[in-house]
Amino acid sequence: MKRCPYCGVENREGVLFCEECGQPFVGQAESPDTSQLDPGNHEAFKGHMSWGTARFGEDASVLIRIRDVAEPLVFAPGEETVIGRRDLSGLEPPDIDFAPYDAAELGVSRRHGVIRRGEDTLTLVDQDSTNGTFLNGQRLIPHQPRVLRDGDEVRMGRLVFNIFFR
Amino acid sequence: MNDASRNLYAILGVAPEATADDIREAYRVMARRFHPDANRNSGAEVQFRDIATAYSVLSDPGERLRYDDARRHFSDEPAYFSLRAIPSKRVLGTLVEPQVLYLLLDIVPTQRAVANRRSTAPMNLTLVLDRSTSMRGARLDKVKVAAHHIIDQLSPQDVLAVVSFSDRADVLIPATAVTDKTSLRSTVSVMRAEGGTEIYRGLAAGVAECRKYLAPRMVNHVILLTDGRTFGDEERCLAVARQAAEDGIGISAMGIGEEWNDEFLDALATTTGGSSAYINTPRAVLQFLDDRVRSLGDAFAERLQLAVAPDADVVLESVFRLNPHPQPLEAEQQPIPLGTLEKNRPIRVLIQLQMPPSSKAGFRSVVRLDATGDVLVAERHQYKVISDIAIELAHEPSPEQPPTAILDALGKLTLYRIQQKAERALTQGLPLEAARQLENLATRLFAAGQDELAHKAIHEARRVSRTQAFSQEGRKSLKFHTRQLLALPAPGNDTP
Repeated sequence: MKRCPYCGVENREGVLFCEECGQPFVGQAESPDTSQLDPGNHEAFKGHMSWGTARFGEDASVLIRIRDVAEPLVFAPGEETVIGRRDLSGLEPPDIDFAPYDAAELGVSRRHGVIRRGEDTLTLVDQDSTNGTFLNGQRLIPHQPRVLRDGDEVRMGRLVFNIFFR
Repeated sequence: MNDASRNLYAILGVAPEATADDIREAYRVMARRFHPDANRNSGAEVQFRDIATAYSVLSDPGERLRYDDARRHFSDEPAYFSLRAIPSKRVLGTLVEPQVLYLLLDIVPTQRAVANRRSTAPMNLTLVLDRSTSMRGARLDKVKVAAHHIIDQLSPQDVLAVVSFSDRADVLIPATAVTDKTSLRSTVSVMRAEGGTEIYRGLAAGVAECRKYLAPRMVNHVILLTDGRTFGDEERCLAVARQAAEDGIGISAMGIGEEWNDEFLDALATTTGGSSAYINTPRAVLQFLDDRVRSLGDAFAERLQLAVAPDADVVLESVFRLNPHPQPLEAEQQPIPLGTLEKNRPIRVLIQLQMPPSSKAGFRSVVRLDATGDVLVAERHQYKVISDIAIELAHEPSPEQPPTAILDALGKLTLYRIQQKAERALTQGLPLEAARQLENLATRLFAAGQDELAHKAIHEARRVSRTQAFSQEGRKSLKFHTRQLLALPAPGNDTP
């Protein structure tokens, strides 16, 4: 048996695409077995029944929890939220700035990714970043939007964070 | 019974020089694999019947001599088509749990046979056209244009019939050789839209017309075009289709607009090896009809049938025709009708099997594949090719990448299946589950670069969670367009 890294369903050996959610099992590195929230933090989200959903309500906001960082970032996403790292080059600073979290050392680009707001969903788009954006262990194709779900794990360079809807 | 056109040696899997002992041993092995007492798979019974016949002839010295003698007529028979099967893994690991194995099967006309073909096979075509009130206007106009176009393309050796139907059926053009194109065209032009939709009447009249010129050397096909939902006569329609399939008539069904019952049209087409399609704009009618008729005109062999007989401990999980005309197939109904084999486009089928737990390394047989068809241009009926698939098991096989062709096909098939799952969830009264599957589908469609369909999936997901229902247009669009992603490029771009 093997567990789908995307939806967690057990699949039989030999299956090439998860029979539950369609996640491809080949042509990519095994996704590391990581970290939703530790149980302590999970308490904060109790009663949040829609975990795993892609639906992003009208007045919902986004909570980003960077791994090993206690304080989450919360924001109400506009049409486009640029994620990256502020530096002194005079480029317009990103909406979400990871510079305080060792972003430069961890390989986050200045304009690394963008969260786009659709009618009822959020999509994540890699901005052709140097070290790539990974969604639940799968590398995003630059400029190709992928739907975000509540609880998704995103890796930009070596900086790992989870996205929650609330 | 003792039909020399069949290669009995191939059925037993022995050489024509085999000794009586070889034959007895081969029969013993085959009986162990396929005897109905040992093997409950639906394809096995069909195989065993052939095997028993072959053994009864070849084990009797006198009968074997007579068979060998008669068989000489076929000694220089060319191979008309062949089977090529690629497994998803060349070497399986020995596992204590079951594992899945995919086979990509191509049925390919051999180059020599195609080169030697005398001409294209004549067509015996019947159009069954919906003229119910809802067809009024652009729809019926485009149908007429498409019918005119088809009349223009046919030649005097072809036979055409046209039946129009609403709540009754009118034979506009009784089956006739296509000689006077002008009068055929004007007959089609007088069609007027009125009345309800009763597919049974049209279909029964259409199949009856097609049957008048029924000939094994021809491509016998009925194309049904409808925009409506038929009420209460589905079962009778399917009975007509089953009878048509037995007579060697294929049925293709095309639905226009949003009202028609896609599951029913799918069932009609699958029963006969035909195909079904969704046409969302009247303009697309011509293109679809043209493509279908062109495909029939390219027929190399007709009435292709595939029998999939897994070994007793192997489970056949699904069979899907990828090309031409992607269509889910009914694995329970064996042999499986596949329709037309075109001269320069292989039939491609994806077979999903489950292998049993196993601790023994070495080669083992997995499944017997058996394709039969009428080779039109050679007037050779019931030409049969058999392929026994074996696979190696090893304790620690080296890792291997599955063949790209399988990954590609399966990746797209997965999209179609997620869509089907969403539909099933909704029928079971689980709208949240349906919405979740549709969101999954959107994610996968984005990953596949199908942004437009992905947005449609998101739209439907939202709709389902709000209203507990699909939009008819959205559901059909997703179903048939995810299915259509599986289609290979049309011949011409196809490398032999």
